[in-house]
Amino acid sequence: MLLLRFLSIPLLTLAATVGPVFWALPEGLGLARSLGIVVGWAGCGLLLACLLLMLREPRLARALGGLERMYRWHHWAGMAAYVFLLAHPLLLAGDAWPNNRQLAWQILSPFDQGWPVWLGWLSMLLLMAGLAVTFERRIPYQTWRWLHVGLGLAVLFGLLHLVLLGIDEPVWPIFGLAAFFLGWRIVREDFGLAARPYIVQSATAVAKDMVEISLKPLAEAVSVMPSQFVLVAFFSGPTCRGCGEFHPFTVSALGASGEIRIGVKALGDCTQKIQSIEPGVMARVQGAFGKFLTDRPSSPQLWVAGGMGITPFLAQLRAGSLKQQTLLLYLYRSEADAAFVDEIRAMAVRDPNLSLRAVATGKDVPDLSLLLPDAAVLTQHDCYLCGPPGMVAGLRKALSLKGITPRHIHFESFEFR
Amino acid sequence: MRRLYLSTTLLFWLLVTAFWAGSLWLPPTEQSEAVAAEKIYSKADLAKHATPGNCWMAIRGGVYDLSAYLPEHPSRPDLIEPWCGKEATEAYNTKTKGRPHAPFADELLAKYKIGKLAAEKS
Repeated sequence: MLLLRFLSIPLLTLAATVGPVFWALPEGLGLARSLGIVVGWAGCGLLLACLLLMLREPRLARALGGLERMYRWHHWAGMAAYVFLLAHPLLLAGDAWPNNRQLAWQILSPFDQGWPVWLGWLSMLLLMAGLAVTFERRIPYQTWRWLHVGLGLAVLFGLLHLVLLGIDEPVWPIFGLAAFFLGWRIVREDFGLAARPYIVQSATAVAKDMVEISLKPLAEAVSVMPSQFVLVAFFSGPTCRGCGEFHPFTVSALGASGEIRIGVKALGDCTQKIQSIEPGVMARVQGAFGKFLTDRPSSPQLWVAGGMGITPFLAQLRAGSLKQQTLLLYLYRSEADAAFVDEIRAMAVRDPNLSLRAVATGKDVPDLSLLLPDAAVLTQHDCYLCGPPGMVAGLRKALSLKGITPRHIHFESFEFR
Repeated sequence: MRRLYLSTTLLFWLLVTAFWAGSLWLPPTEQSEAVAAEKIYSKADLAKHATPGNCWMAIRGGVYDLSAYLPEHPSRPDLIEPWCGKEATEAYNTKTKGRPHAPFADELLAKYKIGKLAAEKS
C-alpha cells in the first residue's frame, strides 16, 4: 500500500506523458521533426498531470501521498513541460534548417502564420510570463495567486492550438479534462465550494505576533487528526478584516464536537489582519491534509520545533499521553516568542514519556549541532522537524552529521507557493 | 528550478534569434528543387494516384505528388487523404473550414510540384 502510494504520482505523470506520445508517435519523418512532435505531446501530457496535481482534495491528497508531495511534483512536472514545450517549435523549425533556412524561420515565426500558430505562441508566452511570476516571491500572495491562474489559460490556449491545426481527435478529451481540473480548482477550492462553514469562538494572543483561534463547525466538521493542517479563509467582522483567501494553518488542538484550534503567526499581509480577528467572525475550512505525526513508529523520538513549528507537536500532546519516549527540543528567539511553553512544561511534568528542552536562541542563527543531543543518544531515534525552512534544512544537515539516516528524519515544509 | 527556468528561457530566445538571423544573412543551402519541365497531366492521370501511398493532388493549376509529405501533415489522415487523386484547390484554400493555409505551407507545397493540370475543354 505504501509502495503504491509512493509510486502513484510518478506512474500518473508517466502515463499522462507517454499516453499522448504513444498515440502521436511519428513514423518516417526527419529526426528533428519527430522529436519536435514527441516533446510537444510530452509537454501537453505533463501539463495535464500538473493540473491534476494542483487539486486540493483531502482524499486525492491521501491517495497520492500528501498535498506537499503533490505540490512538489506539480512544480517539477510544470517545469519539465515548459522545457519540452520550448524545444517543440525549435525542433520543428530545426528540421527544415539544413535545406531551407527561410522555411525554418517561417515555421517558427508568428508573423507569417495564422491562428493555429498564434495560439501556440500565445500559450508559450503565457507559460513564460506565468512561470516568471511563480518564481517572483516579492509579489503579494493574492496578486501572485491570480497571476498564477494565467498558467492554466496557457494550457487551454496550447490545446486550442492543436485543435486549429486539425488534430482534434485526442485533444478534445484532454481539453475537457484540463478545463475540468481548472474549473474544479477555481470553483470548489479557490471560491470555497468544498469548504465547511465555521465560526470563530475565541482568539487568544499566545506569543508576540501570534494568536490561537478556536473555530466551531456550523455544519459537518472536517475530519482532522493531530499534526494535520487545514486551509482556512476568514470573513471580515464588525471591526476586523479577514482577507477571504485560503491559507494553510496547522491545527493545534481538536475538540470533542468538531472544534479545532489553529495557531496563526503574522508572517504576511493576510496573517497580520487575522491577528485582530474577533469571536463571531465566519470562516471557511478545507481539509485536512498532511501526515506529519500520524504514522509514527514505536522507536524513541526527537521532536524539534522552531517557533511557530510547535503547533503540530502541541496538537499531538494535547490529544493524550505519548506512547514513545520523546524528547521535545523547542527553539524560539526570546521568551516573548515562546508560545505555549508553560502548557508544554506542565505536560512534561505529567507525562513520563515526554522530556522538554526549551531554548531561547536569540536573533542569531544558533549552532544546531550543539543544541541537538549527542550521536550516541540519538541512535535508533526517529526525528521529527517543524519550523522555518532554513532551520529545517540546518537540522537535517546536523542530524545527518550525527549519523541519522534520511529514513529517520521526518519533516513538512509547508511551502505552498 | 528558478535557474533552470532562466537558462532555458534565455537559450530559447537565443535560438529563435539565430533562426531569424539565419533566414536573413545565411544563404539558403539548398533552394527548393525547381521542377525541370512543366509536364501537363489530365484529370484522368491525376485520378490514377488516389491512395495515401501514391497521392497526387491538383492545387491552383499545379499537380503535386504529396505521397512523401502525407505522413508529415499535422492534421488527421482522414482529413487530407480523401483529396488524393482529385482537384483540391478549394480544400487547400479553406482547409475545409474557411481558413487558408499559411504562406510557409505554400512554400512547402512548391517542393512537391511535378507539373500542371491540363485545362478543361469547354
